[in-house]
Amino acid sequence: MPIESAAIRLSQSEPGPNTGTVAPARPNEPSFIMALTRNGHMSEHVMEHAVNLSQRLGYAILAVHVDTLPLFNRGRRSRLFAAAMEESTALLAEMAQYRSVAVEHLGESGKVGDVVGRLCRSKRRIEFIVIDKGIRMEEVARSSPVPVFPVRTARHGLFSKTLSHTQKTQGVFAMSTSSKKRYVRQCVLFGALTSALYATVFAYQDVVMTYFSKGGVYAVLPVITVFAVSYFHGNFTSAFWSALGIEASKKSAARQVAPEQKVTDTAPRPDTRPRLQVNA
Amino acid sequence: MHGPIGEVIQFIDLNAYTIIFLFLVGFIGGLVSGFIGSGGAFVLTPGMMSLGVPGTVAVASNMCHKFPKALVGAIKRYKYGQVDIKLGLIMGVFAEIGVQAGIMIQKHILDTWGQAGSNLYVSVIFVLVLVTVGSFVMRDAMRMKRSQTETGSGTGLAKRLQQIELWPMIHVKAANLRISLWFLVPVALATGMLAATIAVGGFIGVPGLMYIIGVTSIVASATELVIAFVMGLGGTLIWAYYGMVDIRLVMIILAGSLFGVQLGAIGTTYVKDYMIKYVMAMIMLIVAVSRFLALPKYLNELHLIAVNDAMVGVMTKMSFGIMCLALLIGASIILASLFKARRLEKAAGLV
Repeated sequence: MPIESAAIRLSQSEPGPNTGTVAPARPNEPSFIMALTRNGHMSEHVMEHAVNLSQRLGYAILAVHVDTLPLFNRGRRSRLFAAAMEESTALLAEMAQYRSVAVEHLGESGKVGDVVGRLCRSKRRIEFIVIDKGIRMEEVARSSPVPVFPVRTARHGLFSKTLSHTQKTQGVFAMSTSSKKRYVRQCVLFGALTSALYATVFAYQDVVMTYFSKGGVYAVLPVITVFAVSYFHGNFTSAFWSALGIEASKKSAARQVAPEQKVTDTAPRPDTRPRLQVNA
Repeated sequence: MHGPIGEVIQFIDLNAYTIIFLFLVGFIGGLVSGFIGSGGAFVLTPGMMSLGVPGTVAVASNMCHKFPKALVGAIKRYKYGQVDIKLGLIMGVFAEIGVQAGIMIQKHILDTWGQAGSNLYVSVIFVLVLVTVGSFVMRDAMRMKRSQTETGSGTGLAKRLQQIELWPMIHVKAANLRISLWFLVPVALATGMLAATIAVGGFIGVPGLMYIIGVTSIVASATELVIAFVMGLGGTLIWAYYGMVDIRLVMIILAGSLFGVQLGAIGTTYVKDYMIKYVMAMIMLIVAVSRFLALPKYLNELHLIAVNDAMVGVMTKMSFGIMCLALLIGASIILASLFKARRLEKAAGLV
């Protein structure tokens, strides 16, 4: 449900003479680059990237702010979000005006994937999507019919680079975007739960041992307990190493996924189609 | 069978030494398991027994710690796209059948030749399998390291087997290959039988997956964790039915081993393919030496050779020491290569 659909049309850009090959096929329908954020303020490098590309390709920008928690703390949070959105929009408008790029702005609420799916199937012709930090690539890519690019800056903020979406690197993107803080929080939470579980078992070890070693149907007790341990302690240890900064290799994580082999081609299925044989 | 046995088994009292020992062995075993898909279990059973835990409780508790560890490791490595769940589950089910067959063979040997005969049989299988498979894997790892190729020498056989269209064909997504179920079953059965005999099925399972099925060592070791989970869960239910699981020991070992298994799984993303083979072969060969030293004791008990008792005592101690050493060496290679690779990535500005 659109909260606000304020079209800020600053200047209608005409495709330059050099952009003839990439200009939209139907000149009456401008092509858009969707710049997507779930934060009040869109990152500056996302705006910059979108404006640069739009200028070069002769496209317009569709800036979309998605409020993913519309029902959470309805009054204050929504007000702050709207204020931040306004500020961010004004900044983008300024940047775009300077480069003579058209900008349209939308404030949406709901799930990012749903919003993307809806907008891509609306009247506007969206060529590709650039996403801001905090949005999971998979969520957008799943419901988007057009390519999705995250825009990330190097840690020191000197350079920005775009990464195209490569499939089958499960977990790699999620990890590279998640912050250490989240792991510390998880670590504390699951650490506490694990300690509680261990404390309970060892504090009442006499009772526990009596029932757990009874056998028969009581066999499920130790099995359930170790499943609980693997969930709590497993999450704790995972967050623990991540919080310490020991994570999977970013360089080789993609390589670890099975190399493309042509093995399936080497085992052709037998051709069972009927054939006509003619004896001349 | 349950009931009377539950009443006579003695569960040990825990002290600081026991807890620290189990935690550390758990951690190192977990590290190795997370990396090569199995291992660690062979030290835990004798380790627990040396603390005074009765044999059956040690075996049961070891089994009960194995499957949650394998589960956590498999989930972690699934996130890296290294696990083929379908392959793991199918093989796990057949491995479970293999375990039952292995137990029956064990029982038969126990009835025929007694405890010493059974121990001798276990040790001989240990030495034979580990030396044969271990040296093959080691040779392959060395060759891959020298030539810097990504494919091992065993892929020739695997490729030929993949060509054979024999219903039902299984598609292994993680490795992108198709192979007949009929070639998976023997590998799975052998894995189960070995697991029932020496407690570490992975020493057959992982090389089998690599050289017969034709998946990379990374996918093989990750998929082995799924097989270990299925086998471990089945085994645990049986042992728990007889009330043999000491949950306190299991939880202490798990406390350490889950730290290890996570780190081992992370380690696989940093190393080259041959490194997994190398660590695995190294551990297998050192363990083979350890079990070889245990042979005279059983031969003595069967009156096949005559070695004096002092000598046997020393050899038995050495055997356990070397087994611990195998695990320590494996763990240090994993940690060293993990931190070396991280340093290199850091230097390259990737981390």
